[in-house]
Amino acid sequence: MAPSGSIELLLVEDNPDDVELTLHTFEDFKFTNRIHVARDGAEALDFIFCRGRYASRNIQDRPRVILLDIKLPKVDGLEVLRQLKADPAARLIPVVMLTSSQEERDVVESYRLGVNSYITKPVSFDQFVAAVRSLGMYWLLLNKHPSSHAA
Amino acid sequence: MRKDGSRLDVSITISPLRDLSGTVVGASAITRDISEQKRADEEIRKLNAGLEQRIGERTAALEASNQELEAFSYSVSHDLRAPLRAINGFVELVVQEHAAQLAPEGRRYLDRVAAGARQMGQLIDDLLAFSRLGRTPLEKRNVAAVEVVERALEQLRPLMEDRAVELTVGDLPMCTCSPSLLEQVFVNLIGNALKYSRGREPARIDVSARVDPVSNETVFAVRDNGVGFDMQYAEKLFGVFQRLHRAEDYEGTGVGLAIVQRIVHRHGGRVWAQAEPEKGATFCFTLGGTTEWLPAAA
Repeated sequence: MAPSGSIELLLVEDNPDDVELTLHTFEDFKFTNRIHVARDGAEALDFIFCRGRYASRNIQDRPRVILLDIKLPKVDGLEVLRQLKADPAARLIPVVMLTSSQEERDVVESYRLGVNSYITKPVSFDQFVAAVRSLGMYWLLLNKHPSSHAA
Repeated sequence: MRKDGSRLDVSITISPLRDLSGTVVGASAITRDISEQKRADEEIRKLNAGLEQRIGERTAALEASNQELEAFSYSVSHDLRAPLRAINGFVELVVQEHAAQLAPEGRRYLDRVAAGARQMGQLIDDLLAFSRLGRTPLEKRNVAAVEVVERALEQLRPLMEDRAVELTVGDLPMCTCSPSLLEQVFVNLIGNALKYSRGREPARIDVSARVDPVSNETVFAVRDNGVGFDMQYAEKLFGVFQRLHRAEDYEGTGVGLAIVQRIVHRHGGRVWAQAEPEKGATFCFTLGGTTEWLPAAA
């Protein structure tokens, strides 16, 4: 997936079309090639907490932002969010919900669990590109995040 | 006890017997066999208990059905949107990145694919809105209809730019309703009026209310001078996905009026329409319940 070196963005998404469209858009805007994709919630957690196949990862090497879908196999997005925000170190990583769900209860629950942002994936491609571009600009360029050695 | 030894229920009425001077000298007893009456009472009690139970069962079944519908709508909105996004996205990428390799005809076919996907996206949103209407509890408040209409017009403002539109809003009463749902009704009806009067210079749209002399209900009306429709198809107007005009001529999903009808019915009201081809249309509705008129603006 990504070359050695720190990962800047973790994309947690099971739908291969959405993965391809999102990565393509990030490339278009030349954001970064240090993106890692996790295809389900369990893999996302293993990645952040350096377990299972990611046991050899450096736990201090945290992404600058996590884009998280809700409907995921094995462990769903809300559970991933809960575990991330319950951990004193992982809690510092901004999490952006990037999901098809517009259901109020998902929005409320995400914010209750401490999500940093909630974006609904638009069906229109123009809007999708604009949303991904805004996300990239904001979280990767504009937003200040704690250095990886904090906490 | 009867002569054959079986027991029976009786009611006994005892009346005093008086002599000519009014002194009570004895009593007379009238015994009535009320077994039949007791049997009837018992029947009624059993019937009521049975009914209560059936109502309980039906309510539980309805609630289960509602929950299934909710899960269904959630699934529809989420799972149908994802492949649509893929269709839109990859068509767009083909057009953007491989335009040089496409003949104009190919480009045209792709535009049709994209348009189909957009239409489907709109359909999904409309269906979801329609299904949600059945689920949300109706919270009625006393509101001034004219304020609701004003908010609806705010939403429709972009559709009125660059057009000659004469819009009049008459004297409207207070009414008891869900303000957000009533706003949706006006957005749909006035939006339709705008859509179907597109060829008119100017488009004339009139929002009014009157009291029906027979039923004493307040009847709201939205009238336009647009393309109208043939009354012989009036029954189909409010059906889901029913359209009386061709898709190429007027965009839309055919759910707007179904939504209007659902909202109006949930308020206990009625909705109907009157029109003539090329002579515009008038859509009327009532909201059930009582209405009061605001004093005419000073």
